[in-house]
Amino acid sequence: MPNTNNEKGYVALLGWSLNAIDAVDRFDRKYVVVAPPWAEDYCTANDIPFIPWDFDRLNERSHELAHRLKDEGVDVAIPLFEETVEWAGAVNSVLLNNPRLLGQSMLFRDKSLMKRRAQLGGIRVGVFEEAHDRGDVIRFLKRVNQTLLKLDGDPNDPIHFKAFDKSGTAGHRVVRTPEDVDNIPDEEFPALLESHLDGWEFAVEAWIKDRKIQFLNISEYVTLGYSVFVPATPELEQHRERITEEIEKLIETFDIDFGFIHPEYFLTNDNKLYFGEVAYRPPGFNALELIERAYGFNGYQGMVLAFDPKATQEELDAFFPTPVKDAKGHAGCFGVYPRRRVVSQLKVPDETANDPYFEYHELSEPLEQKVTKRMAFGTHWGLAYFFGEDPHRLRDLLKAQEELDFYL
Amino acid sequence: MCDTLGVLADRLDQARPFAKHRHQKPVLDVVIRLLAMPGGIDAVYQFAPRLDAAGLFHGSDWDHPDILLSQIVGRTLESPDKLIVALEATSLLRLLAIAQGRGAHPNVHAEHARHFLTQVLALNLRSFFATSDEAERASGADTQLRARLLRYIADHVGLRDVLGVLIAEIWRILEQRPIQVGPVKEMITEIAIALNQQGSEPGSERLGAERLVNALFGPTSGCIDDPGIDAYRERLSHMDDAGLLREATGFARAMHDTGLVSDYHAGFLRFAAEHQDALLVPESLGLGQTGQDCWRHYRDLVLELIEMAVTVETPQSVYGLALLLERGVLHYSPIAPALSRQIRLRLHDAVRDRLGLAFGGTITPEARLLAGVLDVLGQPLGVGQGANPTCQSARAIAVWALNDPDFLLHLIVQAGEFDTVLMHFEGQPINSADLPAGLAAGAPIDADPVSVLLVPHLDRVYAEMGRLCALRGGDPHRWINPEFHGWWVARECLVAVDVATGDLDDFEGFVTRFYESYHPQFNGARPVIHPQPAGVAVTDANARFVGWHAIAILRAAADQNGRMRIYFYNPNNDSGQDWGDGVTVSTSGNGERHGEASLSFEQFASRLYLFHDDPVPPRQSISPVPRHLIAEVEAMARQSWAAERGNRPVTLVGAS
Repeated sequence: MPNTNNEKGYVALLGWSLNAIDAVDRFDRKYVVVAPPWAEDYCTANDIPFIPWDFDRLNERSHELAHRLKDEGVDVAIPLFEETVEWAGAVNSVLLNNPRLLGQSMLFRDKSLMKRRAQLGGIRVGVFEEAHDRGDVIRFLKRVNQTLLKLDGDPNDPIHFKAFDKSGTAGHRVVRTPEDVDNIPDEEFPALLESHLDGWEFAVEAWIKDRKIQFLNISEYVTLGYSVFVPATPELEQHRERITEEIEKLIETFDIDFGFIHPEYFLTNDNKLYFGEVAYRPPGFNALELIERAYGFNGYQGMVLAFDPKATQEELDAFFPTPVKDAKGHAGCFGVYPRRRVVSQLKVPDETANDPYFEYHELSEPLEQKVTKRMAFGTHWGLAYFFGEDPHRLRDLLKAQEELDFYL
Repeated sequence: MCDTLGVLADRLDQARPFAKHRHQKPVLDVVIRLLAMPGGIDAVYQFAPRLDAAGLFHGSDWDHPDILLSQIVGRTLESPDKLIVALEATSLLRLLAIAQGRGAHPNVHAEHARHFLTQVLALNLRSFFATSDEAERASGADTQLRARLLRYIADHVGLRDVLGVLIAEIWRILEQRPIQVGPVKEMITEIAIALNQQGSEPGSERLGAERLVNALFGPTSGCIDDPGIDAYRERLSHMDDAGLLREATGFARAMHDTGLVSDYHAGFLRFAAEHQDALLVPESLGLGQTGQDCWRHYRDLVLELIEMAVTVETPQSVYGLALLLERGVLHYSPIAPALSRQIRLRLHDAVRDRLGLAFGGTITPEARLLAGVLDVLGQPLGVGQGANPTCQSARAIAVWALNDPDFLLHLIVQAGEFDTVLMHFEGQPINSADLPAGLAAGAPIDADPVSVLLVPHLDRVYAEMGRLCALRGGDPHRWINPEFHGWWVARECLVAVDVATGDLDDFEGFVTRFYESYHPQFNGARPVIHPQPAGVAVTDANARFVGWHAIAILRAAADQNGRMRIYFYNPNNDSGQDWGDGVTVSTSGNGERHGEASLSFEQFASRLYLFHDDPVPPRQSISPVPRHLIAEVEAMARQSWAAERGNRPVTLVGAS
């Protein structure tokens, strides 16, 4: 940390992410990594400031961690994973002397509470319910389809099943039939059930400071669980103003003073915005890398500024570019799943390899030949990255990848 | 794509050392696609110094270009893993940039980079020139890339040096007089093709090349135009005595010059033997006084040996025979009858199959084996282990051939007739046929005929002896070496390492004892009588521990500069190795005989971990070893193989 400046804040990163550590190590603030003890040797070997902590054991010890960080002089804790969000809430409520932060983090961790809170705040949400067992799921599936005036034998409208405390597309299932319900393992309960909304799904990444949005990015999903790109197409970006208002509602409803949020929305065919869920941590699918490719700023460093109580508005203004206008192009990635049941080698399709928008991939040679059946979203075998000037071309290119075999 | 590479290079550059590896793969992914495009190699060449500086090689061996091995580059470029290919290609191109003064690296200067690239080109001459070949072209894009890359490098470095390096390399190997000359012959063939296709500027390189090519394809005026063996025999029948004598002398000169035997030479010797010419046979073998004497005494036997073993498929047997006669071992009474027995030996079917599998060809396995026997008895130190973890067995064959040739012939007959070898361990018989495979899972087929025959058996017996003393604690070689090799292995065994812990065990005492037993200045000038098995801790060019290795100490003597050296036999195929920290094993130029390796006494002692010694009374009359000598040796050991001694478990039986 050659550039650390003691006038500036001292941050703790909760969770192990090499990308985050690398970015923050290059930044201008003092930091410490709080991660499981297995990371200790690596940190010692690489001069990474480190406090070993076992996040598995529950919150009774959060006070201990908070005071340890306080004694160390840490100003604020930044959660890197879903599992450390409530730890960060608990720690920050002590460090920043604001007990409200713990309760707030609980809202982010429980998808059902989150949804109710949003509803109470006047944010439009779909129909949802909690499920504790498979019976609850069947009931919800039936009720939703009755509401839609379906007759026996008509194909059901799907519902969405999301494990309460899992992040992103892990544990997210689409349920259409009672057989789908049978396939849900016990450990994914309790869960949140939601009706299906037809429409345009997208995500937002927002850096917030002093209850103000410092930078707002819209990530357009081409197909959920497969592909995303930033900035979005002009067709989606034209809703930026409304989307900004929605985020401001979230800030009010969830009482967010600072930090980084990653909500998901639906824009339905009747042009209404529905809130899906929100996370208080970096998004999956390497969205921050895409943002960096498009805009040139590092999202983790942006998070440090958004969390650090000592960061100034001038610093923030200088750090973040102007959305859309300052983007050098559109960056997208595609999550590759093997399409065949038996695969033996990785071969990037020629169409992809020869496309000028294709940049590189992070796929590995297959370790096993037999492909396990996909149960939920979110277990892709690696990402392929694309970059180009034309968002429509990029979108169509990402869509086309779904029909190609990367594994033979 | 260059834009992408630029972005990724920046990202890699910015990353902290601990995060570099995250960004290396994307760069390599782009590099490999770029290389495949027209002009791609040049683009990567332009980028290479930047990628190097950004940390593309961070965390891999390529980050230390000073220790990279030119021998394995060719194979790496053929790897099915494209990322490895990209890494190697980028590394070569950054070395090219360094050689051209376009880049820099703290560990490598331009001259070194240039030398390395020259070696790579020399070793891959084949794939290089084969590019005009249609079959190669059809065989796939990867050989294409390798050829294009090598040509790109050659265009920048120039080819003249390449030939020089290759020839120097061949001479270095030939100085060691290996029995297995297949790879050398292949390289010479490539040179012949290259000279033919490319032409080359006249100069010393060309002269050296022609000397090698001629030794193989046209050593005498009768065959200088490489007419083919039948045409040559036809010519011989028309030559007068003076012409034949000139041929004989020419063959002998080329053979002793290079250690290589031309097929024409084999043809000539058969011709001479068939005509019972008393002069031409010893003349074409290039015999000295001892050899001449053996020839006169054992003429019928020698003619029989030639008749059966010397063929155009086994030309090297001519050299083996010449050296066998020159060593005078025929005067040792069991040898002549044992060879006579060998000529009449009829091999076991399984043995015939094994030899057939290894060598194929049109001559009988018996003839093949007899030729191999001549080679081994003529060039004991030319035995190599091939690519097999069987240094113990190869060493045994070599020291028997040197020291106990009739015992070796006895084993060969046992194994040849019955496909088994019977040895004893402390009175207990061990029959190799009853045992499971040893260290070498399959029987080696990339070695000389005697090794192909014996190694599977020796390897099993050796493993069994290890098993029998596994529970005794301490290093098992203490008991195995004398039982396995013979009575002449000294009975005391000193080991520098405590086997249980892997820690150094009284290293000072160990080194002192070694000086007292082997250094002529401290042992009363007593020479090494019989070759003594010993174990060395082999280290790589960075002086890092690689493994335990079996060698044999042959003699201790002063070199031409008066510096005391240990001369030893290394069953490895090429003894010239860089063991790091300035310890470079020499194979010629420091008083070595053919096949010997040598190190200065203290350098040798610094890599030694096991040796045998006679149990001797205290040496009052002998001068004490100065402590600073011992301390020096100990420091060298602790800087290299013993650097991390402490917890490393030591598996000595697996030593290879």
